[in-house]
Amino acid sequence: MFLTRSEYDRGVNTFSPEGRLFQVEYAIEAIKLGSTTVGIRTPEGIVLAVEKRVQSPLLESSSIEKIMEIDRHLGCAMSGLTADARTMIDHARVTSQNHAFTYDEKIKVESVTQAVCDLALRFGESVHEEEAMMSRPFGVALLIAGIDENGPQLFHTDPSGTFTRYDAKAIGSGSEAAQSELQDKWHKQMSLREAQILTLRVLKQVMEEKLDHHNVQLAQVTPTKGFEILDDTQLKELVEAM
Amino acid sequence: MSIMEYNGGSVIAMVGKNCVAVASDLRLGNQALTVATNFEKVFPITDRIYLGMSGLATDVTTLRETFRYRVNMYTIKEERDIEPEAFAHLVSSTLYERRFGPFFIEPVIAGLSKTSSGAFRPYIAGADLIGCLNFAKDFVVAGTASEKMFGVAEGLWEPDLEPEDLFETISQTLLNSVDRDAYSGWGAIVHVITPEQVITRTLKARMD
Amino acid sequence: MVAVPDMDSLVNPQQRQFNPYTENGGTILAIAGADFTVIAGDTRQSEGYSIQTRYAPKVFRLTDKAVLAVNGFAADGNMFVKKVKQRLEWYRHAHAKDMPLRAIARLIQTMLYARRFFPFYVYNILGGIEDDGTGAVYSFDPVGSYERETCRAAGAAQSLVQPFLDNQIYFKNQLAAPGMSHPTHLPLPDVLSIVIDSFTSATERHIEVGDGLEMYVVLAKGRGLGGMEAIGGVQELSERTEGERLFVVRRELKKD
Repeated sequence: MFLTRSEYDRGVNTFSPEGRLFQVEYAIEAIKLGSTTVGIRTPEGIVLAVEKRVQSPLLESSSIEKIMEIDRHLGCAMSGLTADARTMIDHARVTSQNHAFTYDEKIKVESVTQAVCDLALRFGESVHEEEAMMSRPFGVALLIAGIDENGPQLFHTDPSGTFTRYDAKAIGSGSEAAQSELQDKWHKQMSLREAQILTLRVLKQVMEEKLDHHNVQLAQVTPTKGFEILDDTQLKELVEAM
Repeated sequence: MSIMEYNGGSVIAMVGKNCVAVASDLRLGNQALTVATNFEKVFPITDRIYLGMSGLATDVTTLRETFRYRVNMYTIKEERDIEPEAFAHLVSSTLYERRFGPFFIEPVIAGLSKTSSGAFRPYIAGADLIGCLNFAKDFVVAGTASEKMFGVAEGLWEPDLEPEDLFETISQTLLNSVDRDAYSGWGAIVHVITPEQVITRTLKARMD
Repeated sequence: MVAVPDMDSLVNPQQRQFNPYTENGGTILAIAGADFTVIAGDTRQSEGYSIQTRYAPKVFRLTDKAVLAVNGFAADGNMFVKKVKQRLEWYRHAHAKDMPLRAIARLIQTMLYARRFFPFYVYNILGGIEDDGTGAVYSFDPVGSYERETCRAAGAAQSLVQPFLDNQIYFKNQLAAPGMSHPTHLPLPDVLSIVIDSFTSATERHIEVGDGLEMYVVLAKGRGLGGMEAIGGVQELSERTEGERLFVVRRELKKD
């Protein structure tokens, strides 16, 4: 019997004869439709920046939420199906709080990332004659930033449940151009301010609209103040300085 | 609720080099409620014997008077002071008289007994509430903090302590024990008996 | 004669009860120094007036920097230690590091409180070295209430030992010399002799204490052996000498 590719497209837990899981691959494709998101790690902390696509002048740009806090020492930026990210971040928050409750210490950045990726892989799961919890892979990629005993770290997760640590990473529609720009400009001893400016410059290059403080959002995680989203005044100042 | 813990309180006696010491806390309680903080539980019997009693306060007071009467009778009849050994047996038989309806006290006796050579030998004894004597060579304890005092005294006491060192040892033992006992405390009174004199000191510690 | 069934027992209701707990005696003790901790326990295990064994350890190595002493119902104690060790292993796999002492302390609380309505009948004392290199003692009640302290005794002879420790470690009821203050931590040789004195005293006056003494000594990273040399019968348990170091000292106690 001849099997077309589309037959393997149906099952989320069925390998194609070439050894591929199409639904997962499509999910990764979905991220490339998302807005550009950038993260940079420096010795002073991590900067996260996202583009907010304001599709209509009537849209309240402040209601677009693409950077979220996981814990005091952990932040997260997303690209792709942002609704899916809510489930993941909710899981990350619970994991982090549970760790603090049980061990009286901050969870490591890698450990929350692992926890989120464990969840990302649960799409294939269904117990016999029981409704599966998840019907498809998450269509979102995350940049998880945080500080623990190993210093500032930046992790990238994708729908396959794979995670990788980066010095600087871009995801979303403009990620290819953004990533090569980061590769050119990133250096080891970058200051936090340099990183803030760099994220904005990278976003500006790949954005269709003109960058201003309405259509980008910036956040950072520092050893002293933990996770914080930069407010309008801070953002305006950076946009001008850029 | 044990009747022995109704009023609370602790007493202790220790042997030193040519001296003995006896001490008590000052609390009088009605179970958890503190009623008085000046209730001494150690009483002079002769110039060289002191008797401490812990347990039911009414029996402490009653027995103090009983022993005063009996020791006075002894002194008059014998025309001499009672010796600690004889007094210990007086205490024992007085308590055993009430074998089946006992006084709810545990006594400790501390004194110096006169030897045939005319020198003084330290003597201490304790007993249970029906008068079973315990002639310890080191220390005796009684009262609600007795377990604690056993532990501390076993760690602090050593043979042949001079009067001042004995005072320090018995005071530290009592104070640190009653601090871990809710039914004892509110300061203490210590008597150190030497052949020459009796040193009496009232101690203020954690008053709670 | 033919055995006649006891009619009373057939007619009237009978009540039977299973008691899941026993008290196995013994005492444990821990004292923290500035850069070391001593955790000790006797090795007698008894049930009522019978001695079951003269060597049943109550003090256990968890990691090179954490030692747990358990006292109360021995079966629960052994099972609890087993479960803590298992959780430590899981944590190592999940987070790629040894669990810090304060995290172990919190974990023990959650494990004990999880059994709030069928408790592990044990008093726990956790000793070791904190991440900042200081000696630490954590004491627990059977349902997980806990506190960090400088010293703690628990078990059958707690009431004998704790006031002695108040006096010798916290200098309670002692005035410092004019212009001087009491030290917050004692040197290792002093601590070891206080521990030995505490157990010989408890052995003397408590029937459930005696036979053997096991003292675990945890030394902070980079600290010399200062004070260990004088003691006999020392055995090193740590695998590496560059990190925290763990020793056990075994001594005899009276067996009567």
